[in-house]
Amino acid sequence: MAEKNLKRKHYLTFVIGALTSILFLALSKKGLDYTSTDEFCAACHAHPHADATFKLSIHNSNRSGVSAKCVDCHLPPEDQPVYFLTRKAYHGFHDLYVFLTQNPEEIDWAAKRNDVAAKRFVYEDGCKKCHTNLFPSTLDALGAESHLKYVRNPENNSCIKCHLNVGHYRGEPSLTMEELVLSPEEIFNEPTVVTAFEDFIEQIPGTAVSFNMKAIPGGQFNMGSPADEPYRRPDEGPVREVEVNSFWMAEVEVTWNEYLAFFNATSSQGRTEADTKTDEEVDGISGATPPWGAPDQGWGMGNRPAITMTHHAAETYCRWLSSVTGKKYRLPTEAEWEYAARGGTEGPYFFEGSPKNFERDGLWNKIFGPDTAGINSFVIYNENSPYRTQPPLLVRPNPFGLKNMLGNVAEFCLDYYDPQVYAKYPQGVVKNPRGPREGLEHVIRGGSFKNTPKDLRVARRDFTRTKEWLETDPQIPKSIWWYSDCNHVGFRVICEYDREELNAETTKN
Amino acid sequence: MEKNQLSRRNFLEQSALIGAAGLAGISALSSCSKKTNTVDYEFPPLLDKAPDGEKLRAGLVGCGNRGTGAALNFLAAGNDLEVVALADVFEDKVWDCHSKLEKQMVEVPKNNCFWGFDAYKSLLEVDLDVVILATPPHFRPEHFDAAIQAKKHVFMEKPVSVDPVGSRQIIATSKKAENMGLSVVTGTQRRHQRDYLETYRQVASGAIGEITSAKAWWLQSHVWFRTREEGWTDMEYMLRNWNNFCWLCGDHILDTHVHNIDIINWFVGKQPESAIGFGGRVRRLTGDQYDFFSIDFEFGNGVFSHSMSRQIDGCANTLGELVMGTDGYTNCKNTIFNPDGTVKWQYDYPKNRDGKSTGIVEVSPYVQEHIDLVTAIRTKKPVVEAERTAISTLTAIMGRTAAYTGQKVTWEDMLNSTERLGPEKYDMGDVTMDFPVPLPGTQHKA
Repeated sequence: MAEKNLKRKHYLTFVIGALTSILFLALSKKGLDYTSTDEFCAACHAHPHADATFKLSIHNSNRSGVSAKCVDCHLPPEDQPVYFLTRKAYHGFHDLYVFLTQNPEEIDWAAKRNDVAAKRFVYEDGCKKCHTNLFPSTLDALGAESHLKYVRNPENNSCIKCHLNVGHYRGEPSLTMEELVLSPEEIFNEPTVVTAFEDFIEQIPGTAVSFNMKAIPGGQFNMGSPADEPYRRPDEGPVREVEVNSFWMAEVEVTWNEYLAFFNATSSQGRTEADTKTDEEVDGISGATPPWGAPDQGWGMGNRPAITMTHHAAETYCRWLSSVTGKKYRLPTEAEWEYAARGGTEGPYFFEGSPKNFERDGLWNKIFGPDTAGINSFVIYNENSPYRTQPPLLVRPNPFGLKNMLGNVAEFCLDYYDPQVYAKYPQGVVKNPRGPREGLEHVIRGGSFKNTPKDLRVARRDFTRTKEWLETDPQIPKSIWWYSDCNHVGFRVICEYDREELNAETTKN
Repeated sequence: MEKNQLSRRNFLEQSALIGAAGLAGISALSSCSKKTNTVDYEFPPLLDKAPDGEKLRAGLVGCGNRGTGAALNFLAAGNDLEVVALADVFEDKVWDCHSKLEKQMVEVPKNNCFWGFDAYKSLLEVDLDVVILATPPHFRPEHFDAAIQAKKHVFMEKPVSVDPVGSRQIIATSKKAENMGLSVVTGTQRRHQRDYLETYRQVASGAIGEITSAKAWWLQSHVWFRTREEGWTDMEYMLRNWNNFCWLCGDHILDTHVHNIDIINWFVGKQPESAIGFGGRVRRLTGDQYDFFSIDFEFGNGVFSHSMSRQIDGCANTLGELVMGTDGYTNCKNTIFNPDGTVKWQYDYPKNRDGKSTGIVEVSPYVQEHIDLVTAIRTKKPVVEAERTAISTLTAIMGRTAAYTGQKVTWEDMLNSTERLGPEKYDMGDVTMDFPVPLPGTQHKA
């Protein structure tokens, strides 16, 4: 008997519960419906233009006699109940809050009438709920193109990107499609005229190639690395106080586009000249021989740094660039390079962090992997591009605005290499130091895509290895223009700054 | 509708993945288990004759030899089929076609014969069910869209466009046709050829294993051309010599080689991701096109297809397709080979009186494609082939662009290219157009 009562009680609870739920649902359905009417929206949305412009729009005033409601566009469709309810609640509270706290006169309505801002309160799924056929038979060619683009990539396109004013009439054409304009590449007739010591964009005459030059104000810095810097090598010291003059330096390493401009203008038919000596007096610069194979290693040319050219070729490039631009371009000295790379910083890198943390070295890093978050965005190196060069603009710049000083490709310097040169500099603050007068190999600075963090340090020094880098060149004599076995070194140009000369030029003009 | 199509495609991709994974699992467990995949392809009904049904009236746009042939192929597809209207840009072509049809006892009413650039518009006003589009491919996108807007079923010849803009327009119009329940069959007749279809079925169910590479070639002697006659304007000359001008023809890598490219796309199951290639012009007398192409199409995952096309006399001229797999290879047409070259399977052709294989399918594929079109219309099971043929056409355009420019050209490039060939307006007078033969790359310094 007691059991039966208990059952009945359960039954009753169940029935009451069910009835309550149904009542609740019915009421809330009613509530939802009520709060979704145009009248309800208009009750708060006191900006009368919304109602007026809607009434004139194609979504109300059209041949079909079908009229959309506010919520059709400004809320997600109801068949996504959770999303619908959360967005409805959000907009309800948001609009109520704005209604109570702000003066509608002061709201910048115009700022909301573009496709990006409007995405916050116009729902794509709302469009697509009614507009199920993206390819109606009368769609014209431009519409077809645009809808195909949308179907291919809905994330980066949207209905309102083109159909912005279909919900509220603005008296403008209803389509806001971007016109495709293909402008032909501009061929520069003249190099850039520089009138002040500031950043400029150099233009190579006769080509469409240009590149950014950054003004590097001269100053004093500590060259080399202190004895306690992790992974320091003996040739990085002793640390010396060094002063360099102001100069411009290219934002990025010489690109293939730039190098090919030189090659196309100066290349020779093949090897006829036997001597490797360059004659500064000769007017025409005789440039590189055509390379064998693919000097870009098949990684692509364009804006990637040019590689595999010899130090001699890089110097010839600078002479050619000087002759076509009327400026003084050359490779940086080792001191200029390090000054520019440091950008006023004093650590192992121009950004925060120690090579000890970045290097895949030591027990901890070997097991758990190094923490490379700090270094990844500044340098193209072994961890983020183990096999090849990368387009230069991917990385963040150093304090002077220079990119890839420490990575992507290593860079030729003007000086011959001498491991003890820092100790041989004159006493005191050294002004514009130069390397030894004679030598066999040249300094290269900065790491490359091949290096690990310990060799990306600002103070690290390296040098050309001419014999090794021509090992597999089968010609005799071996090429003076192209290294057969070195694909990680390029170069960066600097432009000399002479205050008096610049002033004279400016006044003359 | 669109959403459903997309989700269906996703589903198919997923099931293909699961299928591949499952297959790998099975073969890992037992190396002697026979590989059979389920074949996901909409095979045409392949009846010997279209079923009887409502009368279908067709109009022909483009009254050249292929157009006239296509009209007769349509009439041969079944009962109660009529050709009742003709349109061409030239009046003489219209009457030439009219008299050829007359000889086959086909009487086209003379007031349904139209000529001029807008002749197709007049033709679409005639009471028609089917439109046959057989003009030079340059005009196809415009004609196709007009035909679909006029709610006609369409048979159209390949290639379906000459430039990326046109190919994309075909794809869009194709979607319209699907939404409207119309049927569209394209002149890629290998896809209606029983031997090809059976070979495809074998390959798709695993007869040669996973596809590893492919080759397609259309190497033939020079094709027809017209030298300019006195009194012809520039436009008339180009139209009468259309097969030799790129803006009208698309070059022979489209015009003929698209057949082979379409087969490779079909068998591999997708279009290539990019193309690198070259070509040149050494023997042609008229127009602005190349006479050879060699294109390397990359499908991803190490799968490549070498595509060769050439139109030069006195060379090693053959044509065909070859697809290599991990377990064998096929000529795509009728034979599956084991890796050692022995025959694994061969299509069973009808036999002649002596009991020997005839080597040809029962129904000509040129008629078969019309049988399949009429069957689709009469059984109310619409078929739209336009998009896939547009994709094969665009694949060929990708190869052509790679050869013309010397650059690596990607599928993405093709989907975004704004290249549209030909004049803005059509006028029978003289044209101010240049026809430089494309030169890849740049000139090096002397």
